[in-house]
Amino acid sequence: MLSKSYVSAGFLILVFSILLSACGPQREVSQNEEEQSEPEKPEELTLWAWEDTKTAFQEVGDKYTEETGIKVNVVAAENADISLDAPAGRGPDLFYETHDRIGDAYLQGLAAEIEITDEQLKGYQQSAIEAFTVEGKLLGIPSSVETIGLFYNKELVPEAPQTIEEINEIAEELTNTDEDEFGFLNITSDFYPTFPFLTAAGGYVFEKSEQGGYDTSDIGLSSDEVVEGAEMIQSWHENGYIPESLTYDVMNGLFREGKVGAIISGPWGIPDFEEGLGDKLAIAPLPTYKGKQLESFLGVKGLAVSEYSENKYWSTDFALFMTNTANSELLFENTKRLPAREDVSIESELYQGIQDQLQYADPTPNIPEMAQVWEPMGDALVFIGEGEDPQEVLKEAEATIKEQNSLLGGDN
Amino acid sequence: MAKQTHNPKVAVTLSLVPGLGQLYNRHYLKGATFLLLTISFILFFYQFLNIGYWGLLTLGEIPRLDDSRVLLAQGIISLIITGFAITFHVLNLLDAYKEAVKFQQGVRPDSLRKRFRAGWNKSFPYILIGPGLFLLIFVVIFPLLYMVSIAFTDYNLYNSPPKNLLNWVGFENFISLVTVPIWRSTFFSVFLWTVIWTLVATTLQIALALILAIFVNDPRIKFKKFIRTVLILPWAVPAFVTILIFAALFNNDFGAINNDILGPLFNQAIPWMTDPFWSKIALIGIQVWVGFPFVFAIFTGILQSISKDWYEAADMDGASSWQKFKSITFPQVMFATAPILIMQYAGNFNNFNIIYLFNQGGPAVRGQNAGGTDILISWVYNLTFETQNYNMAAAISIIIGLIIAGFAFYQFRRTRSFKEEGEM
Repeated sequence: MLSKSYVSAGFLILVFSILLSACGPQREVSQNEEEQSEPEKPEELTLWAWEDTKTAFQEVGDKYTEETGIKVNVVAAENADISLDAPAGRGPDLFYETHDRIGDAYLQGLAAEIEITDEQLKGYQQSAIEAFTVEGKLLGIPSSVETIGLFYNKELVPEAPQTIEEINEIAEELTNTDEDEFGFLNITSDFYPTFPFLTAAGGYVFEKSEQGGYDTSDIGLSSDEVVEGAEMIQSWHENGYIPESLTYDVMNGLFREGKVGAIISGPWGIPDFEEGLGDKLAIAPLPTYKGKQLESFLGVKGLAVSEYSENKYWSTDFALFMTNTANSELLFENTKRLPAREDVSIESELYQGIQDQLQYADPTPNIPEMAQVWEPMGDALVFIGEGEDPQEVLKEAEATIKEQNSLLGGDN
Repeated sequence: MAKQTHNPKVAVTLSLVPGLGQLYNRHYLKGATFLLLTISFILFFYQFLNIGYWGLLTLGEIPRLDDSRVLLAQGIISLIITGFAITFHVLNLLDAYKEAVKFQQGVRPDSLRKRFRAGWNKSFPYILIGPGLFLLIFVVIFPLLYMVSIAFTDYNLYNSPPKNLLNWVGFENFISLVTVPIWRSTFFSVFLWTVIWTLVATTLQIALALILAIFVNDPRIKFKKFIRTVLILPWAVPAFVTILIFAALFNNDFGAINNDILGPLFNQAIPWMTDPFWSKIALIGIQVWVGFPFVFAIFTGILQSISKDWYEAADMDGASSWQKFKSITFPQVMFATAPILIMQYAGNFNNFNIIYLFNQGGPAVRGQNAGGTDILISWVYNLTFETQNYNMAAAISIIIGLIIAGFAFYQFRRTRSFKEEGEM
């Protein structure tokens, strides 16, 4: 038979030749990019937007083309694809993103740091800029902001309640569970709309560190102040104001039908409620607790420039163009999202309530660790609603959040 | 002529460059084709393999410029291509040797046409299998190798490409799984529940199927066809629909089970969704419901094929019903269905649908990073899509894969032993 040594020699030669040739790519590393004040204009820019904002953005893009000659392509796409598409050269120049996902994009190195002057930043809401800043780097130009407000039915509640006491009075007066009638409803199992009440007396998710980021080891969700808020929420259930298994569908449906005095909701709910309630719908900022305005979460959407874009200068330029005063107004007309600018005033009674509350809204932390907060806190709020000891439940939730976050990085 | 001087060893040595050995054997067309294929292979793939192997070893050197994920993929594809190349090279060496031996013995090559026809006939099955095999390698083997590779890297949220480069970390992920306290406690509690789930849910569904099959098969039962049809119905409804409906039925506050059955009858409500113990009970119940019709159908078929003579003989000997069941029915049914039943266990071990659709692996449990009813596979899902712990998810997947492979191995063994006995 064929002697084995020949075959193995053949293998060896093959393997060695491959190993020897495996010396990797030959390339020169040149990192010195030439700094130009105004690089040459590209022919076109690509913006990844979402299906619902595509048309509105394209309209602004067309205006930009008129002004500069740069064509703007607005594409409805999944931002999750950027991670693979951008490095492969198929990514966008800009992408539309919410501020709470920007920390993730930063960790993956997908969003480029935006270099603009303080002069250019004038006019944007400070908190919105903050929302897009990670580790001191600005990673996006904010375009719209949103927060929650107190939606009320003027027929049942003629005057907007100013304080929590007034809310409790309304709840006491109007609630009649047999008739499915309620004075005040809120989804207390959802951390987002319940956060203002939970932290009515004080509290925070992650302590802000001095560098402008967050200290994830310092969670402020089980202090005595938060327990005070939790007891207040618990009392709503104990007094029968809010049923334990309330869902958004049920709450929104009842409010639309005019059976609820007031609920907590956001601008996204306005069209639906307006349809059901018409003129009876009114929106006020959240009430005060012991003279202090409740602070809600601020959500910001904006435009990020892809790290892999070859036209960062013009991408930034377009992002600024899209969010300037005139276009912010146009975008509000078309998307009904409140502009992230101070110098734009929206003449709309309904949106005024939300706008008033915006002054008391703080961005949800934009770090990926925030993603681990929602579920444990939601669970904790359910337990609180069921009448368990708030202190204990909140301590547990805090521990869960810390544990989950310690697992994000494996063992470091 | 060259009868004595023609040396197979020379042919094989020459064949290290594919084609030369064939030329030496006077197979000119074959040799030229081999040579041409080799040259084009090297020209075509040199750069790809070069980057691929370099990428596989280093996973990239310059962050941002090198994307570790892409390099890893290219490296694995390079391995696969090399595998193909080595296979063909060995075939080439064998061919050179065999033909040289024939030549040495004085057999002169047939006409080109004849040889071509012989070659075609010989390789025809491989040509038919080829495309499927090729597809399978890139659709199944490649992702599998990729997943296995990820388990040995440090790919997680804080080390995400393209900003960062991945690194090979050896068995570190597996070690943390059993040494880092929170990983360990979660892993073992999830693993334990997975095993209990597999054993209890599957055994119950088999037991229920067996009991029902025997009852329905009893000669005293009327309307057999109707009853069988009804019992098979849960199988006809898509499992995910059944699970979602059961999830609604089991809802603590609105579900019919609490509101319309337990409430009025016993005046109490069970926290099906929020208490891990009751969630587990509910899940096992649902799985038995979803899973028994399939086993029932198989058992029914086998029961009908058991010879009546045996039972008559048993009756003559005065055997009790229990004895008949123990000595005739049960062994017959189990002997024929053991391999299928074992795959039922394997299927439940990885039954993601029911766990995820019922309540996403919930409820939450203190001190662990998986839900109270999470089994390994749904935990992997969470690690991948919720917390981007790709490395750990891949490591756990490998463990799952090994366990399932164990089931499959056992099943094949059983199947073969069954066949051999059948042939006796």
